[in-house]
Amino acid sequence: MFRFGTVMGVWVLLALFTGTAFAAEPAAGGGAGSVNSGMIALAAGLGLGIAAFGAALGQGRAAAAAMESIGRNPNAADRVFTPLIVALALMEALALYALVVAIILTGKIPG
Amino acid sequence: MEHGFTWLSGFGWREPIATAVLVSVALVAFAALLRRRTLAVVDAINPENGMTIRNVGEIAVEGLSGLAEGVLGHGHERYVPLLATLFVYILVSNLLGLVPGFSPPSGHFQMTFGLGIVTFLAYNAYGMKEHGVWKYLQHFLGPVLFIAPLMLIIELFSHSFRPISLGIRLFANMDADHKVIALFTDLTHFGIPVAFYILGTFVSVVQAFVFTILTAIYISLAVAHDH
Repeated sequence: MFRFGTVMGVWVLLALFTGTAFAAEPAAGGGAGSVNSGMIALAAGLGLGIAAFGAALGQGRAAAAAMESIGRNPNAADRVFTPLIVALALMEALALYALVVAIILTGKIPG
Repeated sequence: MEHGFTWLSGFGWREPIATAVLVSVALVAFAALLRRRTLAVVDAINPENGMTIRNVGEIAVEGLSGLAEGVLGHGHERYVPLLATLFVYILVSNLLGLVPGFSPPSGHFQMTFGLGIVTFLAYNAYGMKEHGVWKYLQHFLGPVLFIAPLMLIIELFSHSFRPISLGIRLFANMDADHKVIALFTDLTHFGIPVAFYILGTFVSVVQAFVFTILTAIYISLAVAHDH
């Protein structure tokens, strides 16, 4: 539907002019005292630990259900595998949101 | 622990864009080569022996078309180009990060959020094309009219969270894997990092698959008809 030259031209222009999204963010300013930075570090570590614990619980239940259904019906292994992987990835994503917050927090520790 | 040298680190902060451009150019070159090989054969319906470019292309197209058909049912052919492009592009970007000397372009939130925005625009556009603009927007109001304000807020929030969650899922997986591999290669130089490379390969393939499946599910929700 679109000609090759038009597509290539648009693509080159986009690649050249969207670089500003990658400009480095300013570094986080210095905080109050060492208690503050201690709390931030503790929050990062604990938050991630709790998120990983919750995700592991959920994934264990999903895997247990999948194992049981494969055990009952070994022919269904292929049909169970794909939904199992999708469910595991979706639960993993919730723990990863906490990881992103933890990384942001460790960037905010002054000094 | 800073990142150190990659083949494209001379570009500085533009390195993710340069790597993504490299991936795009390689995929377009492969597609052009595949097209020329397919057009050059007189009876393209007979497969060749062994692993040739045509056979790889045919396996890929058939696998991705089957994936789209599993989620979307009949009428899936119009969505296969978008889904196949997303899958192949994300897969190659992820796997390129495992090659020593490259950093995965999908390990940056700016790149994956862009892919999430593409998915968002695509499924809304397909929904509007299928139902008409006004009728598609009426789906946001929910089934019953008098809880429409509450439903509107809930639906808007959950819809606008979708590209962000797609982007964060892919970015956090790839970034964490890349850093874990770098960390363990720093700590134990031989042997143990192989386990992490295996994990990284598995996660790369699964994350590309999950992104594509979620896009297909969002499209199927947007164009769903009560025939």
